[in-house]
Amino acid sequence: MTGRLGLAVAVAAVAAVPSVAPTYHVLLMLPFMAYGVVLLGLNLLFGYTGLVSFGHALFIGIGAYTGAFLTSNFGVRSLEAIVLTAALLGAVVAAPVATLCVRYVKIYFGMLTLAFGMVFYTFVLKFYRLTGGDEGIPYLRPSLLGFGLEGIPKTDYLTGPYYYYSLVVLVLAAAVMWRIVRSPFGLCLKTIRDNPAKAETLGIGVGRYRWYAFMISAVYASVGGALLGAPIGNVDPTLVYWTHSGNIVFMTLLGGFASFFGPILGAFVFIYLEDFLKSLAPSYWRLIFGALLAAIVIFAPGGLMGLVRRARPLRAA
Amino acid sequence: MRASRRDFLKGIGAAAVAAAGAPAIVSAQARKGVPSDPVKLGVLAIRAGIAAPVGTAGLRGTEWWADRVNNGGGILGRKVQLVVEEESNPKDTVERYRKLVLQEKVDVVLGGISTGVTLALGTVAEDLATPWLSWDGTTQKGVEETMPNPKWAFKSVDNEVEAIVAGMLTPKYFKGIKTVAGIGNDYSYGHDCWQSYQAVLKRYIPDVKFVLELFPKLGVTDFTSHIAAIQQSKADLLMCSFWSGDATIIMKQAAAVGLFKTMKGVFTTVGGVHDSLKKDFTPEGLLLGYNTMYFDDPKGSPLLKQFVREYKAKYNEYPPYECDHAYFNAESYKAAVEKAYASAQEWPSKAQVVKALEGIEVESLSGRRGWREDHVQMCNFYQGLTTHKNAYDFATINPIEVVSTKQAMKPAGAKLFDWINSWKI
Amino acid sequence: MIQHVVSVLMSGIFHASILFLVSAGLQVVFGVQKIFNLACGSFYALGAYVGVSAVQAYAAAGGPPAFFIVPLVLGGLLIGIVGVVVERGLLRFVYDRDETFQLLLTFALVLMLEDAIRLTWGTSPLSTGGMYLVYGQVRILGAAVPVYNLIVIAASLAIAVGIGALLTRTAFGRIIRAAAGNREMAEALGVDMRRLYAVVFTLGTALGTIGGALVIPATAAMSEMGIELIVEAFAVVVIGGLGSMRGAFVGALVVGVLRAVAISVYPELEMLLIYLIVIAVLVLRPRGLFGAAATAT
Repeated sequence: MTGRLGLAVAVAAVAAVPSVAPTYHVLLMLPFMAYGVVLLGLNLLFGYTGLVSFGHALFIGIGAYTGAFLTSNFGVRSLEAIVLTAALLGAVVAAPVATLCVRYVKIYFGMLTLAFGMVFYTFVLKFYRLTGGDEGIPYLRPSLLGFGLEGIPKTDYLTGPYYYYSLVVLVLAAAVMWRIVRSPFGLCLKTIRDNPAKAETLGIGVGRYRWYAFMISAVYASVGGALLGAPIGNVDPTLVYWTHSGNIVFMTLLGGFASFFGPILGAFVFIYLEDFLKSLAPSYWRLIFGALLAAIVIFAPGGLMGLVRRARPLRAA
Repeated sequence: MRASRRDFLKGIGAAAVAAAGAPAIVSAQARKGVPSDPVKLGVLAIRAGIAAPVGTAGLRGTEWWADRVNNGGGILGRKVQLVVEEESNPKDTVERYRKLVLQEKVDVVLGGISTGVTLALGTVAEDLATPWLSWDGTTQKGVEETMPNPKWAFKSVDNEVEAIVAGMLTPKYFKGIKTVAGIGNDYSYGHDCWQSYQAVLKRYIPDVKFVLELFPKLGVTDFTSHIAAIQQSKADLLMCSFWSGDATIIMKQAAAVGLFKTMKGVFTTVGGVHDSLKKDFTPEGLLLGYNTMYFDDPKGSPLLKQFVREYKAKYNEYPPYECDHAYFNAESYKAAVEKAYASAQEWPSKAQVVKALEGIEVESLSGRRGWREDHVQMCNFYQGLTTHKNAYDFATINPIEVVSTKQAMKPAGAKLFDWINSWKI
Repeated sequence: MIQHVVSVLMSGIFHASILFLVSAGLQVVFGVQKIFNLACGSFYALGAYVGVSAVQAYAAAGGPPAFFIVPLVLGGLLIGIVGVVVERGLLRFVYDRDETFQLLLTFALVLMLEDAIRLTWGTSPLSTGGMYLVYGQVRILGAAVPVYNLIVIAASLAIAVGIGALLTRTAFGRIIRAAAGNREMAEALGVDMRRLYAVVFTLGTALGTIGGALVIPATAAMSEMGIELIVEAFAVVVIGGLGSMRGAFVGALVVGVLRAVAISVYPELEMLLIYLIVIAVLVLRPRGLFGAAATAT
């Protein structure tokens, strides 16, 4: 019960931020929420199925570019339409990619996903007549639930209606993912992660389930990407580069891949820490970040949630 | 007039210090309507990756300007404080920009080099109602599509200007050119330069043939294959728009196979790394572009000479053009503030500063340059033929051509290729 | 025509030589320790920067240009010692962990080395100036080829042969191959894995740093050069097969020459072609040309 209460408090706290925090910090929460959605999906693959994707920025890119294409080239401004289209496109692209990738595990899976990510990056960069190349495509202000809201300045729009919209999407995404991991499907994934051979003997089609997990994680990443792109206003290929994929895996690890909320916590800490360090040590924040990642990998592989669990003895669920 | 104001300020300061008996310099020089705390200027500088050299140069230029201004008492007596953030990719840079304006509460943001970033920043700058003076990074798309009538954003010169100038100068210095090969980085700048160069050259040499175009991606360090392809094309001339370390590399690798023994070369923007073009591998007779500042300009002002001297002493390098963009942006801001103050008699609002910036001209490192009414930089471009007759270990240019943006940049509201095609040759 | 073919081939082989060195470093580490070292590109960059500094110091001290290659190679070789520091100080803590964590640790290394290099050498591109041209050029079937390129190709070949000999003819090489084949068995037979891992990782690092040092006279040391290279090295080891030296050799040739040909014939394709081959290999024959069987369920 305290878990539920804690969750409610957290959501309420996030909802209260625009009223109490300075504008800049409110704006920082937007990528946090977008990444939260992405990581919920990524962790289905990582924490629950045991597959680490090093190419998920591909799907973030698909989501962001969907928003850019729809708003700039097709005049479609509805964020609902954008999110749905992003989810659909994410699934369409993920289908063949997943089919190829889930035959392999561990390092080969990581390498294959990295390769796909970089192919998409090269494609987006090279075919500039279609994608804008390095200049990217503008992602114009989307309308929320039919309201254009063009009258208010973009910053007010972002810290107000867009903020709450993102929060609702994150909460919904989390609720859906919670059901997924609690369902028999989720249990099968965990079995596959822990002992694929046993899973086969139990009649669980390992490849098939991994495929579903991949598809779901791709859809989540695309939705997150659609949310991530709007505040930037311009979508470009750097969103798809392999280091971006590496960063989201970093966030997952930072928060704790073995926990449901770990990755979301990881996104929050990553974003604020990065912001803090960039201002504090503009010449060597990457050094500090790298050292931090190394420290987590070596000393706290369970991430922050892992440390929390170690501090508090296990309680009955 | 500025000199006398500085003396005036110094006089006031000295008197006040003597009177107060304490070195409260800032408050001593407070003027009517001017706050006593320092004025914060945000700076976005690239620190990593291929553009790091020019980003670093821009930051150094801004810092030199700030020291100079502060030694002279600041802007209207207010000390200048630079708040520096990193320009990286568009998403992160937009966040840093927002931080500068919303959290650090800077009065102006200086900087911005990379095309993708400046495109993203444009709309953000307009939204946050703070003047943004960009160093570099304006392509046709940025000018025409995303920011047609900016209120707060001040854009750099159109990126293609140096290619246009090179196109104008090519027929002057290289006779009998029939075939041309081009190599540029695989992104908007590289493509835009090539297209502009082609359009201009065709006006002067209508039956010129473009036999090869190569666009290696940014960050490639091995051009031996590209050079082999260029050699095979047997073009009369190679046009190259590289502006960072890759320019040095291709020059070196070309020299290793004697490419320029039989081919003419035009390097539109190599000024970014000019002092790395050592004489050992940079032949004479190439057309080189130094963008808006040539460090060794014989007609250079005392300001430029002092800057070059001190830059070399401090960093053991010779400054590239980004220093000039950076200095100009900062100096124009200062001049605009002073101009707006003169009529308002109090520290101007951001909107007043913007108004004062339009049409202003100041003395920059490279000479006089200014902001056009539509928020685009106006300045001179320096290009010339390489020579080894100098006191350095790298190539410089002689003769030096100075072409103004009045001739080489399309006028406000015009479309680039229509304008080129309308020239009277 | 023949001249052009030779030009293209020679440039492809030159590029392949450097790729081979970096990939060989990747392979030897993966083969024995089963770690895919994302920081191999960073070691390459480190070797490049150290190489420049060594040559610049040498030139400032008045050394004759003809022998510049000595401080260059020495610099590249000696900085390989960083491998020991990284292995003992960082990597050895995660040997018993999942491969993913090992991979992430090398990613952390990439981040750290990026800033470390930038803090040490700054952001301006550094080069050894005209040293590259000191040995002049030769004509092969009409094509002008810089002699330095030939030296690099020869050096790379020599190293390839040397490693081959090391692996197949020496006792140490046998131990390496045994440990690569079956870690537990090797350990049971008395191999000191700790020492072996330190030596192997340092060897892998040194191959990367030498590759960087050797290539630098022909190019320039630039910010983030390591991050760019990792993608090509990755293609090489996938095509050649993870863990195989022969694979690194053949893979490097394939990537180097194909890239050169693509640039000559159809420049649009360039890197895209390489990635598509990578995907094709991973899908059709995941162990690459010479690798061990892939870990599929």
